[in-house]
Amino acid sequence: MSSQPFRLSAGGLIDRTQAQSFRFDGKRYEGYAGDTLASALLANGVRLVGRSFKYHRPRGILSAGAEEPNALVELRAGARREPNTRATVAELYHGLEARSQNRWPSLAFDLLSVNSLFGAGLVAGFYYKTFMWPAAFWEKLYEPLIRRAAGLGRAAPHEDPDHYEKAFAFCDVLVIGGGPAGLAAALAAGRSGARVILCDEDFRLGGALLAEKREIDGRPAAEWLAATLAELASLPDVTIMPRSTVYGVYDHGIYGVVERVNDHLPVPPVHQPRQRAWRINAKRAILAAGAIERPIVFAGNDTPGVMLAGAVRAYVNRYAVLPGREAVVFTSSDDGWATMRDLAAAGAKVAAIVDPRVEIDAGLMALASRIGAQVFAGSVVSSASGGRALDRVTIRDASGREQSIACDLLAVSNGWNPTLHLTSHQNSRPVWDEAIHAFVPGQMPAGLSVAGSAAGRFSLAQALADGARQGTEAAIDCGFAAKAELPPRKTDPEGIALSPVWRVKGGKGKAFVDFQNDVTDKDVELAAREGFKPVEHLKRYTTLGMATDQGKTSNIAGLAIMAELTAKTIPETGTTIFRPPYTPVAIGALGGHHRGRDFRPTRLAPTHQWSQDQGAVFVESGAWMRAQYYPKAGETDWLTTVNREVLAVRNGVGLCDVSTLGKIDIQGADAAEILERVYINGWKALPVGKARYGLMLREDGFVMDDGTTSRLGETHFLMTTTTANAGKVMQHLEFCHQVLWPSLDIRMVSVSEQWAQAAIAGPKARAVLQGVIDPQHDISNEAFPYLAAREITVGGGIPARLFRISFSGELAYELAVPADYGDAMMRALMAAGEPHGICAYGTEALGVMRIEKGHVAGNELSGQTTARDLGLGKMMSSKKDFIGRVMAKREALVEAERPSLIGFKAVDPSQRLRAGAHFIAIGKPATMENDEGYMTSVAYSPNLKHWMGLGLLKNGASRIGERIRAVDPVRNGDIEVEICSPVFVDPEGTRLHV
Amino acid sequence: MRIPCPHCGARDAQEFTYLGDANPKRPDGMEATEAAMFDYVYQRDNPAGRFRELWYHGAGCHAWLVVTRDTKTHAIEAAEPAKPTKAGAAA
Amino acid sequence: MSDAATKSDAAMKPGWTPRSAWAGILSEGSFGAKGPAGVTATAREGLGIASLIVAEGGDAALAKAMKARFGLALPSTPQAAISAGRALVWAGPGQWLFIAGDRGGFADDLQALSGLAAIADQSDGRAVLTLSGDKIRAALAKGCMIDLHPSAFSVGSSALTSIAHIGVHLWRAEDGPNGAVFEFMVARSMAGSFWSWFSASAAEFGCQVTIPRACRVGRG
Repeated sequence: MSSQPFRLSAGGLIDRTQAQSFRFDGKRYEGYAGDTLASALLANGVRLVGRSFKYHRPRGILSAGAEEPNALVELRAGARREPNTRATVAELYHGLEARSQNRWPSLAFDLLSVNSLFGAGLVAGFYYKTFMWPAAFWEKLYEPLIRRAAGLGRAAPHEDPDHYEKAFAFCDVLVIGGGPAGLAAALAAGRSGARVILCDEDFRLGGALLAEKREIDGRPAAEWLAATLAELASLPDVTIMPRSTVYGVYDHGIYGVVERVNDHLPVPPVHQPRQRAWRINAKRAILAAGAIERPIVFAGNDTPGVMLAGAVRAYVNRYAVLPGREAVVFTSSDDGWATMRDLAAAGAKVAAIVDPRVEIDAGLMALASRIGAQVFAGSVVSSASGGRALDRVTIRDASGREQSIACDLLAVSNGWNPTLHLTSHQNSRPVWDEAIHAFVPGQMPAGLSVAGSAAGRFSLAQALADGARQGTEAAIDCGFAAKAELPPRKTDPEGIALSPVWRVKGGKGKAFVDFQNDVTDKDVELAAREGFKPVEHLKRYTTLGMATDQGKTSNIAGLAIMAELTAKTIPETGTTIFRPPYTPVAIGALGGHHRGRDFRPTRLAPTHQWSQDQGAVFVESGAWMRAQYYPKAGETDWLTTVNREVLAVRNGVGLCDVSTLGKIDIQGADAAEILERVYINGWKALPVGKARYGLMLREDGFVMDDGTTSRLGETHFLMTTTTANAGKVMQHLEFCHQVLWPSLDIRMVSVSEQWAQAAIAGPKARAVLQGVIDPQHDISNEAFPYLAAREITVGGGIPARLFRISFSGELAYELAVPADYGDAMMRALMAAGEPHGICAYGTEALGVMRIEKGHVAGNELSGQTTARDLGLGKMMSSKKDFIGRVMAKREALVEAERPSLIGFKAVDPSQRLRAGAHFIAIGKPATMENDEGYMTSVAYSPNLKHWMGLGLLKNGASRIGERIRAVDPVRNGDIEVEICSPVFVDPEGTRLHV
Repeated sequence: MRIPCPHCGARDAQEFTYLGDANPKRPDGMEATEAAMFDYVYQRDNPAGRFRELWYHGAGCHAWLVVTRDTKTHAIEAAEPAKPTKAGAAA
Repeated sequence: MSDAATKSDAAMKPGWTPRSAWAGILSEGSFGAKGPAGVTATAREGLGIASLIVAEGGDAALAKAMKARFGLALPSTPQAAISAGRALVWAGPGQWLFIAGDRGGFADDLQALSGLAAIADQSDGRAVLTLSGDKIRAALAKGCMIDLHPSAFSVGSSALTSIAHIGVHLWRAEDGPNGAVFEFMVARSMAGSFWSWFSASAAEFGCQVTIPRACRVGRG
């Protein structure tokens, strides 16, 4: 077989000097630069491209554009394999690899096509009806079976090796579509000086002009196209984006665009993304997306070789490919006759032209006669046959007489639908235009207008005029002066008369409405019989229009058939609307940079390098990376390390980074007042130089956050928040200030990032600290008692803040220095602590020690606990208003039964406790009714040498000494525990004050 | 959506955090009945149409805004600072 | 308000070496596409940065002091007033960032403003990059939601926004030899993630990184 046997010897917009070899189902072929995969396959005589979704019917290529429902392939191999790629828009490149989908074991011989023989069982509603019972069969039997039989290609099993980007752009005028209307619009707007972006999904601009032999001002349209593109390229504020699909229209002039930057190459060049998802902000936009041709529903209309008539012209004129050598044209419009003309001009035999209309334009009749095509007026194609490749069509005339004609191509035209999808992305419903027998855009999204074929104005002259006018208007809307009006363009005549025929009944075999989802006219009939008549029901019951092509070629026929069955008009029947995305968008493009390590930002403390140098194991804490523990050589499990760290602190001294705590600087005459209102406890009496623990509630009475706040001056406080809630608390304070009490003089700013902060804890903490702070500062117990908070200096004059606060229950300080000195502070403390055996400890040891002390943390501040639940009810001041005051006193929140915080230890001290275990009375079944609360936090105490837990238990405080079960069904745990004080170590707190 | 921040200009909605109805006024907690506070905390209208709602420009100027928006069309009629500014005060 | 950087190194105990927010993140040289760098990034180090917040109606007095002492006009919209060695950048209603090119005398500057505004030193809490180059807008478009076209973002314009989920304060300085110059300021803890985004975005155009001497101080 000669190479590219169906390639025409001349013409087309392909580069014959650049041969590109590719593989389809493992077989090697050749095409040219400028081809799509579809045109290259057709050039090689490959008609059978895939198997259908449900019946595994052989399928070919229906269209030459984005609407393609049949020719879906897996593109590329290995980790780059991409399923469900439309061959009609896949740009050919050297080395392209594609495979057909949904066939097993091979495309030509597909065992599962028996589905088609049992087709009666797979009608609409099949899934709903058949697999109802028993439910357990779904997971084990039905679903795997269905997934095998009906599928849409395979996703790649490996991580995508390419990278993707997101990007933002701004313009005055966005033009969607680079055909005649779009180009005219971009030119008119661009000449006025407006910032213009023109997006076209194709790799070559020109739209329908590329597929047609047309004239503008008496010259080939290609000349106008070249001149227009050249002028657009010369305008500095006009950006042309080929290979870019506008997939969604969002509120306030936001447009979603996916740019296929490097899909036309086997591997993107280094440093370049495969795709880029743009968010374009446009003051105005013009939709010039053209139109999509409509097929006709008849038996065997899915046979490879049945193709849209406009697509046939595109393959002949743009790609110089003959989709068949012996053609029949079946058209209900004058437009289809142009296909007869172009096929004949390219050397194909057009055996017949079939038109359901009785009256045909005399000029068209003369054309057919010249070409030698037999005209069947008042007739239809009742069936197409041939299985894997079309070999014959049956033509039926008005009297019902049938005649069979051999052919390998059937070009079908039933008029065009405006590509109005984007106009309905904000819920606007298209409206029926009887004059053109098509839906046209209804109410337009703000800022968007529609030009040319997309508006149902199908002629080239209309497209050019529409574009120029709307481009000018859009620029004026954006404040630019219009240039002199563009003269109207003269175009060659074109026929647009149309009398659509939606389906031909009575043929042998299945007649498809929706090719991609395998919905037939019989399915629509079934839906009508079973009462699923409204369009939204029809859609969901039959899955019509629910495939990845969103029914671009099928919805209208489905509606028309339903209209016919219910004796209604199409506008009475109505239409479903379209949602973003217009065509499928890879999730990778939407994620862009944000995958893996960059899924979200990571925050590193100013002491991070030091922790790393100490061998820390880090844990994610919100966005932060915090040192979890610091294993030493020879320590093989985390518990050994944590036990060592805890004992080091309790018996000597430890050092822990606490830089991640939120820090809010609050100044102003009403600084104390705002604290009074957001915290449950009192603040006005707090002396300068002192810190205090504070607890804040949400307005619904539940705990929001806690932390210590220090008074640095009469009108100057420093609030600390938990690491996790820093942003939330700042937002809350801003709300309180700006919305609730705007008259207060408070000035707040986050200083979390400015200060590196370390906790130095343990009996030897003071001794260590003294080696670091400048000598003039007295930190003796008398001069700097528990809860003292002062500005000091370290390292010879570096400003610092020292707080005597403790989370561990030991003598402890927190020292803060400007973040640049955070690293130096940790190293200085380690050096000063060396003689005292100082030990770096992480969040795990911190957690153990706070549980030993019964301090609440994130597990207890769950958003479902009140101050009272946590044993902190007495902190609530009765003398002032504060956020949450009223709601915290609700009956259900103060009843005695409500679970409250208490301690637990296993009756058998060797047993491990588990957080999340529920408390059930001994001897009672573990049911919801018997649930008495749950364990919030557990840890192993190396001091007590057993596990300990904190939990919320009904009547908790009054049940010390009782025994109860801690049931953990997730891990099959069920152990007996003793209720005890939540303070396990140093209940008198004497260690704090030494 | 794009929200026209009165301080920063039109910005993408992802810079903002939504709170909801801007109309409820917080009763004084020393005097309010539980019922009044309950209404303030939980009771919200959910109108289809014009709605005054609170948005926080957390990724921008940290201002709380009252945005008047049509919940059916998302058309934004106005966006004003929740904190009243006196004449001559900072923008 | 005291400030670390006003202390001479001699006065400080050995070992108290400051560590730059960019230490361990930036490395000098070029990366990405070969050829002339389309994008340049210069680390800013040793800046004095403080947030200033005025009480209701307090802007007039601050404006007067700023004008008198530094010749800077207090912006009331998202703008940056820039003079030799100092900048005053709008940071929200009634809020500004006051920035000095170095920390020598910064404490005195702040002292002079005390009483006019609530002042909080942020010098160590921010990481700043100067970004420029022929392709800088194309690189920034990969995450920046602000329109940086010259017709929309002139010299002296500023914005608070977020890029790649990272809060960013940016402003346009005077044009340089390669056209527009942007200052980008992020929270210190986010510097690494910001650079991860920026370097990925700039690689396509080739990027030249410059680290001034002062910035190289510190372990990293």
